[in-house]
Amino acid sequence: MSTLAVMGAFLALTVLTLFPAIMVISTRNVLHAGFWLLPCLIGVAGLYAMLDAHFFVVAQVLVYIGAILVLILFSLMLTRDVMNPKAPQHNGLVGVAVPICATMSAICALLLARHPWPAGPVAAAGAQDQTVALGRALIGTYALPFEAASVLLLAALVGAIVLAKAPQSEPPAAERIECPGGEK
Amino acid sequence: MDPITATHYIGLSAILFAIGAVGVGIKRNPIVIFMCIELMLNAANLALVAMGKHLGSISGQMMAIFVMAVAAAEVAIGLGIIVSIFRSRETIDIDEVNLLKL
Repeated sequence: MSTLAVMGAFLALTVLTLFPAIMVISTRNVLHAGFWLLPCLIGVAGLYAMLDAHFFVVAQVLVYIGAILVLILFSLMLTRDVMNPKAPQHNGLVGVAVPICATMSAICALLLARHPWPAGPVAAAGAQDQTVALGRALIGTYALPFEAASVLLLAALVGAIVLAKAPQSEPPAAERIECPGGEK
Repeated sequence: MDPITATHYIGLSAILFAIGAVGVGIKRNPIVIFMCIELMLNAANLALVAMGKHLGSISGQMMAIFVMAVAAAEVAIGLGIIVSIFRSRETIDIDEVNLLKL
């Protein structure tokens, strides 16, 4: 790919990532915020593709877009009175949080502008080699942490089921159905 | 020669992280706060993958895999907690969920 095409792709993906991210925190409608998250995550997946991390493109689409985003949208629908766009969405801390984070960002930008990383000393491995190396490392060097992560995920899923299950000490079924809707 | 270096990716990642941090600071709905945490985790993942490529090492991608696993676990548990709070209190506004406050 030519230099110009690479730069253009990076710029387009930057916009595709950052603009929806800003919309997520600025829109008043909670459901719209959830949907704005989608292009942002797709933009990050595109950046992974530019980094030749093909496994992460797939994982980003499967895990973030397929699972996490859908889960977030589901729980928005389960708690539907907060989807009211008229409800206040911001606490009073906009004047504090924005300057702090802008300062942090500016410091990072300043440091990066002063000390840019030199071009990598190592010749970048091809995409296929990276994926092969990742697979080998997952069943080799990092096998034990990988298993620990899977146990963590299993525990988290069991815990989530236990948490979200209706308490058994409230037998009347009618009451239970009425409660989650919050339409009294 | 690749015109986009690790510096660009780290800068983008810092901006994305700052946006997420602002969202966590100013939002009242915990589900939107979750979305902002996801933004921050994505920024961290991007930085890890970019540095992994820059250093020619697989460790960056490996760390990003674990970040992703922890993010999935965290969102499952967190949303379970939110649904459960909504059941018992009829609201999930974090300014009103204040039983632990003195």
